[in-house]
Amino acid sequence: MGVILAQVAVSGILLGGVYALISIGLTLIFGVLRVVNFAHGEFLMIAMYASFWLFHQYGLDPYVSIPIVVALLFVVGVIAMLLVIRPILRASPSMQIAATVGLSTLLQNLALVTLTANYRSVETKLSRMVLSIGPLVMGVSRLVAFLVALAITGLLFLFLQRTYLGKAIRCTAQDRTAALLMGINIDRVYLLTFAIGSALVGVAGALLMQLYPVFPTVGTYFVLAAFVVVVLGGLGNLTGALLGGFIIGLVEAFSGFYVPELKEAVYFVVFIIVLLVRPTGLFGVVGAEEVGLK
Amino acid sequence: MILEAENLTKFFGGLAALKEVSFGIAEGEILGLIGPNGAGKTTLFNVLSGAFRSDQGRVVFAGEDVSRLGAPRRCRTGLVRTFQVVKPFSNLSVLQNVMVGSFLRTPDPGLARERALEVMELVGLGARQDQPAKSLTVSDRKRLEVARALATRPRLLLLDEVMAGLTPTELVEMLETLKKIRDRGVTLLVIEHIMAAILTISERILVLHHGEKIADGAPKAVAGDKRVIDAYLGEEYLLA
Amino acid sequence: MSTPMQREGTMFSTYRFIPTSSLYTLVGLAAVVSVLAFNVADKFYLHVLIMMLFYAAVSSAWNIVGGFAGQLSLGHAAFFGIGAYTSSLLFINFGISPWIGMLIGGVLATLVAGAIGWPSFRLRGPFFTLVTIAFAEVLRILTLYAHDLTRGSIGISVPFRPAVGNFIFRQLSAYAVVALIFLMLTVMVNLWIESSRLGYYLAALREDEDAAQALGIDTARYKLVATLVSAFLTALGGTFYAQYILFIEPFAIFSLDFSVLLAMMAIIGGIGTVWGPVAGAFLVTPLQEGLQAKLGGELHGLHLVVYGAALIVVVILLPQGIVPSIAGRVKRAFGHHEARPAPPVKGES
Repeated sequence: MGVILAQVAVSGILLGGVYALISIGLTLIFGVLRVVNFAHGEFLMIAMYASFWLFHQYGLDPYVSIPIVVALLFVVGVIAMLLVIRPILRASPSMQIAATVGLSTLLQNLALVTLTANYRSVETKLSRMVLSIGPLVMGVSRLVAFLVALAITGLLFLFLQRTYLGKAIRCTAQDRTAALLMGINIDRVYLLTFAIGSALVGVAGALLMQLYPVFPTVGTYFVLAAFVVVVLGGLGNLTGALLGGFIIGLVEAFSGFYVPELKEAVYFVVFIIVLLVRPTGLFGVVGAEEVGLK
Repeated sequence: MILEAENLTKFFGGLAALKEVSFGIAEGEILGLIGPNGAGKTTLFNVLSGAFRSDQGRVVFAGEDVSRLGAPRRCRTGLVRTFQVVKPFSNLSVLQNVMVGSFLRTPDPGLARERALEVMELVGLGARQDQPAKSLTVSDRKRLEVARALATRPRLLLLDEVMAGLTPTELVEMLETLKKIRDRGVTLLVIEHIMAAILTISERILVLHHGEKIADGAPKAVAGDKRVIDAYLGEEYLLA
Repeated sequence: MSTPMQREGTMFSTYRFIPTSSLYTLVGLAAVVSVLAFNVADKFYLHVLIMMLFYAAVSSAWNIVGGFAGQLSLGHAAFFGIGAYTSSLLFINFGISPWIGMLIGGVLATLVAGAIGWPSFRLRGPFFTLVTIAFAEVLRILTLYAHDLTRGSIGISVPFRPAVGNFIFRQLSAYAVVALIFLMLTVMVNLWIESSRLGYYLAALREDEDAAQALGIDTARYKLVATLVSAFLTALGGTFYAQYILFIEPFAIFSLDFSVLLAMMAIIGGIGTVWGPVAGAFLVTPLQEGLQAKLGGELHGLHLVVYGAALIVVVILLPQGIVPSIAGRVKRAFGHHEARPAPPVKGES
């Protein structure tokens, strides 16, 4: 029994790594722009479809195509920022939500109309390989996804801590006005942040393509989990998103083991409890007052 | 005594914004509240009106301990405040704004409207009834803030810098309005920085400095009080 | 004059303040729809009419929370589902007339709304929206899980036993009349709220919650009242849907897409106004039904592409929605410059 539980835990942690990666972009965007991008899941979907297409059209191994997908999502982020997000930055929260929900609906159904609802998968040699460590078994793809997720997160942290742009982003997240007064070009910081957040989800999408099939509504499934992670970790808190990812990964793995039919309900219930009891999340929140979380 | 504040203390983190502030207000009085910026005046308002809970001390209003009541309930008992940075309901008209106030005392839109119009006349906003609040000038916004609070039929009205930003003429009008309000039976506690105004209209003045009450008395006495001069006035303020 | 704190007057005289123009519009609408209901022979067009009325009514119900109270709920499918499942299960298992089941469903939805709404109102902006999504999803999953009770993903087929008492009709016109009455009910509720104290208080808390509290408004309580009313009406819509379509299952009924659609129609038409959601539904539904019918399975989802884009465009260019924008232009053409309670756009002030 212990081995089985350990196995479940391992799956949970591996899954958690990927959840963390999806969520980090979302929380970064919120921390800086104070906007919840309800279309985040659709960006993930776009990344997955891109990875799929590059594989089937050009035979590009999904790991190899990661940089391309990242670049693509960066561009998608820029476009979305300029066309949809920037015009609504000053609007009321309701209107911001409406706009990103509109974007989400638009993208989802665009995919549905042009690509059909069929499930599509990528199968490489790696897809079936498993690694055994003692009695524990893990899919190699999952392990690689986990490691890449950690690596990218690490790079992100380094970027935010060490580079000027990274610091500018952190400043803007902490105090918009002060950053402005210090000569930081807020507009550009917003744009860059949104694009980076989107690019991060690009990596996640490319990694996930090896683990799951893609279909137009795949984004919804993952983005709801990402919201739970982000709220749990504290909106705007990157470390929180990382840890939250692991927690939710474990929660999902264990509830999948004990109550498979209610698996999703469990983390939604966790979500509701966190929102009602401690909306600032486990690790506190940037700009809580602005969104009325006093 | 319509209001008794007993040992009100409020901490923000390690900073004591209010330190054992005690005073009373007699019914029908106009009490002025002055002090340098950061002295704790608005914090005191927040504590009195229920926006914040004090860490220590009590607020007794009309004989009742209201310390545990939140802002909406305190307002209903007759203890009402205005905001230093005015908060109009921008997309509603002036009349609609004031009606939000008068609806506190009646669920009937007709009566609420009548009372709102009456209060607007008193305050000088009668002509602007259907104008959207966001299009008002500064002085009219201040009037609106007062009108709205007045429409709730307060017994004690806490006015937070209602005269800031007004021209001399507007200031005189506002002082007249405040007197009219008092003559209707409303007690006033007024925060102001404009010395001429506050010393003229107040029957008594309270001075706060670093969260503590440093003076409490007739305007002339307070204006000549050495502590007040050192902390705030700079030099003896001579009343005209 | 130190006046004692007396309460005078009642809320019932609110009806005097409902603009007569709105009442005329309502009567006119009812007349036109009645004529159409009994003179249009083509079943497809009748179906579109019924759907237009249905969506207009449910979107209006949503508007009480999403528009008047300014709380963007994307979980209204929960109330809709409770209504649909309650009346259907009571009908199939106990033979209880769906009319009664509808009321029971409404009450049940109201109770659930109270239970989940009360703790949720502290949350603002996206947090509130997220919690509503979560609640609706939990309900969907629970419905799937309790398949012994609810038939799970198989769904429930309401047996076609036409009779007025069974809320099942052979004639589509009958459904159109019921839908019309439903719409008139929700519009009247909206009109009444708008002119009443509740409406003013909701507008106040939407504009500035702190100022509202300083004026004695218990904001959580009024948000709750709005939610209860909205939930009740939405649940009625659920029963209507079940009795019209005669088939319900969790994926369609408790769907996030449906919740989004309600919000979308209200926002495009004019969130927070009485006629906005109606106009939004009237504009959007024919497109949806038309596209689904003509293009069938091929371009399934095309209408949603259009709505998504339309929503974005409206939010950016016409944040007040179509109806207020047009009304504003018409009024300015006639020289009026009145203010009406409008949705908040914080950029201006």
